[in-house]
Amino acid sequence: MTTVLAVCVAVLVTVSVYLMLSRELKSVAMGVFALGHGANLSILAMSGSPVLADGGLRNPPILGAVNLVDPLPQALILTAIVINFAVMGFLLTLLIVTARRTGTINVDDLAAEDRPDGSRTGGDR
Amino acid sequence: MVTAAPYLVLAAVGAPVLAGLATMLLPASRRLTRLALATAGPATSVLLMAIHLGRNGVSTADTPTGTIAWVPSLNLDISFLVDGLGAFFALLIAGMGVVVVLYARAYFGHDAASLARFFPTLGFFSSAMLGVVLADHLLLTVLFWEMTSVSSFLLIGWDRDDADAGKRAMQAFFTTGLGGFALLGGVLLFGGHTGIWRWSHLMAEAATISHDGTVVAAFVLMFVGAATKSAQWPLHDWLPGAMKAPTPVSAYLHSATMVKAGVFLLGRMLPAFGALALWLPLLVSIGAVTMLLGAVLALNQGDLKKIFAYTTVSHLGLLVAMYGMGGASTTGGLGAISWDLTQIASHALYKAPLFLVVGALAHLVGARRLPHLFGLWHRPGAGAKAAAVVLLLSGYALAGGPGTVSFVAKELFFAATTRASDLHPVLAVVGVMAIAAAACNVAIFVRLTTTVLGHRSGVGEAADAPVVPAGQPDRWAFMLWAPAAALIALQYLGGLVPSLWNRTFRGVEVNVHDEAFATGIPLAWEPFLHPGMPLLMTAIAITAGVVLGFSGWMRRDMVDVHSRIWPASYRGIRRGGHRIFHSIQTGHVRHYLAVVFSVLTLCIGWAAWADPAMLRPPAGMDPFEYPAGLLLGAVVCAAAIALPMVTERVVRVLVLGASGFAVVGLYLVYQAPDLALTQLMFEIISVILFLLVLRLLPRADRRPRIRVLPRLALASVVGISIGWMTLLAGHAADNRADDAPTLGKFFEAHSLEGSELTDGRGGEGRNVVNVILVDFRGFDTLGEITVLATAALGVWSMLPGRRRHREEEDLAVDTGQGVQT
Repeated sequence: MTTVLAVCVAVLVTVSVYLMLSRELKSVAMGVFALGHGANLSILAMSGSPVLADGGLRNPPILGAVNLVDPLPQALILTAIVINFAVMGFLLTLLIVTARRTGTINVDDLAAEDRPDGSRTGGDR
Repeated sequence: MVTAAPYLVLAAVGAPVLAGLATMLLPASRRLTRLALATAGPATSVLLMAIHLGRNGVSTADTPTGTIAWVPSLNLDISFLVDGLGAFFALLIAGMGVVVVLYARAYFGHDAASLARFFPTLGFFSSAMLGVVLADHLLLTVLFWEMTSVSSFLLIGWDRDDADAGKRAMQAFFTTGLGGFALLGGVLLFGGHTGIWRWSHLMAEAATISHDGTVVAAFVLMFVGAATKSAQWPLHDWLPGAMKAPTPVSAYLHSATMVKAGVFLLGRMLPAFGALALWLPLLVSIGAVTMLLGAVLALNQGDLKKIFAYTTVSHLGLLVAMYGMGGASTTGGLGAISWDLTQIASHALYKAPLFLVVGALAHLVGARRLPHLFGLWHRPGAGAKAAAVVLLLSGYALAGGPGTVSFVAKELFFAATTRASDLHPVLAVVGVMAIAAAACNVAIFVRLTTTVLGHRSGVGEAADAPVVPAGQPDRWAFMLWAPAAALIALQYLGGLVPSLWNRTFRGVEVNVHDEAFATGIPLAWEPFLHPGMPLLMTAIAITAGVVLGFSGWMRRDMVDVHSRIWPASYRGIRRGGHRIFHSIQTGHVRHYLAVVFSVLTLCIGWAAWADPAMLRPPAGMDPFEYPAGLLLGAVVCAAAIALPMVTERVVRVLVLGASGFAVVGLYLVYQAPDLALTQLMFEIISVILFLLVLRLLPRADRRPRIRVLPRLALASVVGISIGWMTLLAGHAADNRADDAPTLGKFFEAHSLEGSELTDGRGGEGRNVVNVILVDFRGFDTLGEITVLATAALGVWSMLPGRRRHREEEDLAVDTGQGVQT
C-alpha cells in the first residue's frame, strides 16, 4: 500500500503545484486544496502499510484488539484536516472580496493593479 | 587593591544628558537658568571625574571599576576603565562641553527655540562620548559609539529647512554607521574567538593573544570602524560635509572630540594589536595619505570652515600614523611614539578655538571666506578685533610655531618618524609627507595673517555676502570669542611653561617610549639648543610654508575627487535596491510560489546529494498487495490528473470532490475511521462551498495559458521528490520491527491507564486517536480550534458589506453577469 500512497502523493502534489502556478486564483485555491490531500496522505504513509502478511488488515487504533495501526499519524492528520478546512474557507472568502473589489481574480491583472511599492512602472523614482 | 565603585563614573557619564533633558522642563523665559543648568551637566562630569581620580588614581589594566549587572546572560555589565587614555579623553570631552555650551548661548543669541533643542542634543552627545572613552566592556563601547553617530546625525542636520544639511547628515551617519557595524563585527569576532570582552582584560592578556587569521580579521574590522569615525582616506569626505552643522557642533564634535573617537580606539587597541604585522603598514599608509591629502586640500579652500575641516582631516591622519608607528614601539622597543595624548590635546586646543572664532566672525562680520575677511583688523568693533587676535593666535598654533604646545607636538612627531625610519627606511617617506603637510599648515597661517592684517581699502568689501545673518548683539556677545581665547591661552601656557603641562599630563601618558622625552615635553627653546633631525625638518617646513603662503599657488577652491564617492554610492545603492526589489517583489503569486517550491526541491536535492542512499529504490515493495486500495489510489490519481484538463468550472469542482472522496476511501483502508468521518464531512461542505463561491466569481478569461511546459516541469520535480520522500519514509515504517519503540506505542500503552512515566495518570479512553487529540496533545488541539476561530473571524470581517451587497448580487446572478463591475 505504501507504493500506492507514494504515487498518489506524487500525483496530487504535482497537480496542485501546477495549479498553484496558474494565472487564475480559482485554480490556485483548488491547488491548495489538493495539496492538503497530498500532505495528509504523505503523513499517513508514515504509519506503515496496514496490510498484514496473510493479506488481512490491521485493526483501527482502538484498544481491545491486537495489531493496531500507528495512531500518531492519524491524530496529526485529524488536526490537519480541520486546519485545511479553515484555510479553505478563508481563501474562498478572500477570492470573493478580491473579485468584488477589483473585478478580477487574474493574478497578472492583480499584480498590475498595485505593485508592492505603489509604483506601476518601477525604476528610480 | 580595593576595586573602585563604578557609580561616580556612571554619574559622570550620565550628567550631561540628564542636565540637557532637565533644561527642557524649564519655561522658555528662564534663559539664564537654562544656560546654568546646561553648563552644570558637563561641569558635574569634570567634577565627578576629578573626585574619582582623586580617590582611586588613574587605573591600569588590572584595576577597572566594579561592575553593575546589566544583561547577565550576555555577560554584559556596566563597568568602566579610567586609565590614562580614558581619563584624559573624559576630561577633554567634559571640559570642552562646558566651553561649547557657553559659546552656544552666544552663537544662537536670542533664538530661544534653537537653544531649547540644542542643549539636550548636545548633552546626549557628551554622555555618549564619555561612555565611549570610559566603558570597559567592548560591547558597551560599541553601544555608546553608535549613540555618538546618532547624535552627530542630529546635529549635522540641525537646520531642518536645509536639504543639503540633511543629505550631509545622512552621509555622515551612513559612513560612521557602517564603520560602527564593522566595529561591532570585529568586536564580536574577537570576543567570540578569544573570550576576551573587556578592554582591561585585553590589555592584561595582550602578550598571550595569538596572531591567527581570525584575530587579524577582527583587527581589520575594528580598524575600519576607527578609520571611518576619524575620517580617514578614502572615506574622509563626510567630515568636510559635516561642516553644515552649527559652529559649536563643528568645534565640539567634528574637531575636538567625536572624530577623535577613532584615534582613541586605536590608542585602546595599541597594546593588544600593535604587535600585529599588519598594524604598522595599514595605519601608517592610511594615516599618512590622509595627512598629506587633507593638508593640500585645506590650502586650496577659501571658506574658513572648509579650511579648518580639511586641516582636521589632515591632523587625524597624523594621529593615526602616529599610533601606527607606535606599533613598532610596543614590540621593537623603539621610541617611535611619545606623549600621544599631548598630540591629541594640542590639536583640540587650537582647532576648537579656530572653529569657534570662525563662528564668531560669521556673526560679527557676516563673512567666512578669506577674500571677504580682508583687512579684518582695520574694521571697527572691539568684538571683531578680539576675534582677529584669537584667529591669528590659533593660526600660529596651527602652523606649529615655537612657543606653543603644538610646536612641541610637531617636534615629537618628527622625532617619531626619524626613529621609525631607523627601523624601516621606507618610513622616511612619512617624514617627507609630514614636512609637506606641515608646510601647508604654515602657508595657511601666512595667508590668514596677510588677509587679516592687509590694508588695501575697498578690496573685498563690495563682495561681502554674509554667510550667516549677523545676530543681534547682546550682552553675551563676548562669549563668541572669550571661550576660544581661554582655550588658546592654554596652548601658549603649555608651550611656554612646559613644567605645568608635564605635571598635568605625565600621570596619564603611558606611551612614552623615546628616552629623550622621558621626563617631559621639551622647553620651547630646547630644540634650538640641541638641533637635530626634527628641528631641521621643522625649518624646512616653515621655509617652504612661508614661500607657499606668499605665492599665488594653490589658491583656488579645489574640489576633492573623493566627494564623488558618496553621491555615486548612494545612487548606486538606491538603484540597486530598486532593481533587486522589483526583481523579487513582482506582485505575481506564482513567482513567489515558484521560488518557494524551487528552494524546497533544492533542499531535498541537497539532502540526496549528501546521502546518496536516498536515491536507491527500496526493495520488497508490492503495489498489488491490497487490490481495493490500488483501485482507490487509481481513482485519486485519475481525478487529480483530470483536474487541470477540465475547463467547465462546475465539473472541475466535482472532479476535485471525487479525488477527495477517494482519499476518504484510502483512510478507511488505513484503518482510520475518525479521519474518514471527518474528511467526509468537510469534503462535502467544501464542495458545496466551492460551488456557491464559483457563482460569485468572474468567469475565466480567454487569455492563453501560461506556458505549460516550465510549469509542468517544476510541478513534476516537486511532486516526484515529495512522493519519493513519502515512499522512503513509508518503506522505513513498513519494515519497522513490531516491538520498535515508537511514539504511537507509547500513546497506546498510556491511552487507558498511566504508568510511572506519566505520573500514574492515563487518558482514560480506548480510542487512542481521540485520547491523543484531547489529552496528550490537548494544547495542539486548542491551537487548531484557535486557527478555526481565527479563520471564521477573518471570513466574518472580510464580508462586512454582505447585507448591503445582497441585492446587487441577486440582481447580477439573476441576469447571469456575475459581479464583473
